[in-house]
Amino acid sequence: MDAKLVNPFVEAFETVMPQIGFAPPKRLKVSVQHKNAVSKGVSVIVGFTKQIRGNVVYNMDENTAKFIASTMMMGMPVESFDAMAQSAISEMSNMLTANAATNLAGLGLEVDISTPSLSIGENFQVKITDSQYLTVDMDLGGHVVELDIAVEQGQG
Amino acid sequence: MIVDDSRVGRAMLVKNLQRTNFEVVAQAKNAAEAVELYAAYHPAVVTMDMNLPDADGIECSRRILSFDKDAKIVMISAMKDATLVSRGRDAGIAAFLQKPINTNDLIDTLMILCQNKVGKVAVLRESYAKPFARALQQGLFSLIGVHCETSIELCDQNFLTVSGVAVIIGLTGYPTGRAIVYMEEKTVQAFSRILLDVGPDEKIRDVEAADSIEESANIIVGRGVSNINDVFRDKEIRMTPPGTICGKDIHIASPKLTTFHIAAETRIGDIHMNVGFAEGE
Repeated sequence: MDAKLVNPFVEAFETVMPQIGFAPPKRLKVSVQHKNAVSKGVSVIVGFTKQIRGNVVYNMDENTAKFIASTMMMGMPVESFDAMAQSAISEMSNMLTANAATNLAGLGLEVDISTPSLSIGENFQVKITDSQYLTVDMDLGGHVVELDIAVEQGQG
Repeated sequence: MIVDDSRVGRAMLVKNLQRTNFEVVAQAKNAAEAVELYAAYHPAVVTMDMNLPDADGIECSRRILSFDKDAKIVMISAMKDATLVSRGRDAGIAAFLQKPINTNDLIDTLMILCQNKVGKVAVLRESYAKPFARALQQGLFSLIGVHCETSIELCDQNFLTVSGVAVIIGLTGYPTGRAIVYMEEKTVQAFSRILLDVGPDEKIRDVEAADSIEESANIIVGRGVSNINDVFRDKEIRMTPPGTICGKDIHIASPKLTTFHIAAETRIGDIHMNVGFAEGE
């Protein structure tokens, strides 16, 4: 796992979140993982491919998802994690990954991203690679968003 | 409208189009006639032959586009090389087909170009969901030897519920989207036993079972993508690596996507596929 390829995702989070109304996020913990990720409740997978291939997961609990949706919707109260809130989280994941793709392009690596798939449930597992991947916990206004990032070399 | 200097060429296209809902409103045998007839009829779409006696197809297209920038033109030529395609694109030609024309390719292309008229959902169903349904059917037969019929339905709710294993594969290019192959736990077990040739008394680990679904889903979706790319060579769709989800009562939502549910009823249980495409370009 090449840190150079993971940083663009973390930097995207640090850049984009303040632009959409959040206090600057902080990196809490970085670790290398071998086993499947366990969902915290809400997990968004965005795949990417071209010069490098992989998946990124934005993994958070439902409270955090509601907090993010509410902040993105200018503080509108979000009582339940409904379709509108899901749409906000999906949009955030899309913006973050698109920004990461731009960062990667800056390194000379072209990537195309897929549409986000948002999964909601209890204790389900998410497998994003056959090998190891990196997990970065980000603090976002007292909430934690886990980024799971798997990157492999593409086929050109 | 058909633009072609050869009578045989025009007749072949007319014959192809007779089997569709497209109606030929005008036929032109040279560039001057094409411009004149286009102005008179304003057809929804034009097929343009490259070789015309008074100008080439690109020049003729340029003249039409100069007074209707929204004209939808499909270039049809014996040769389709990069220079021709890039010159044509610069002129504003929307799509390129090579002779001899396959009727399905022609219909798919015309449908895409006229999607504002025939409806985007119809285009997505015919040109994108159907190739995946075919891939599911063929893939299941070649992987585990089961015969099945598949059905396609437009989904009206924007989430699906999974208990078992779901493999999510992103699609990039045009259109972007994702394909999800999913099935219940007992089908997962039965599927992987056949795939890995494991007897009923032997144990199969959950990880192995999930991995075999993942690998199979990758093959099936890959086949679906190839089916599409074979038709639309200029808009290559690529697949992202699979993400696999295991658990109970998981909702997978895809806001803003137009999604189709493809079901395959098999003797080992129902195997589902959900393909979703982003709206617009």
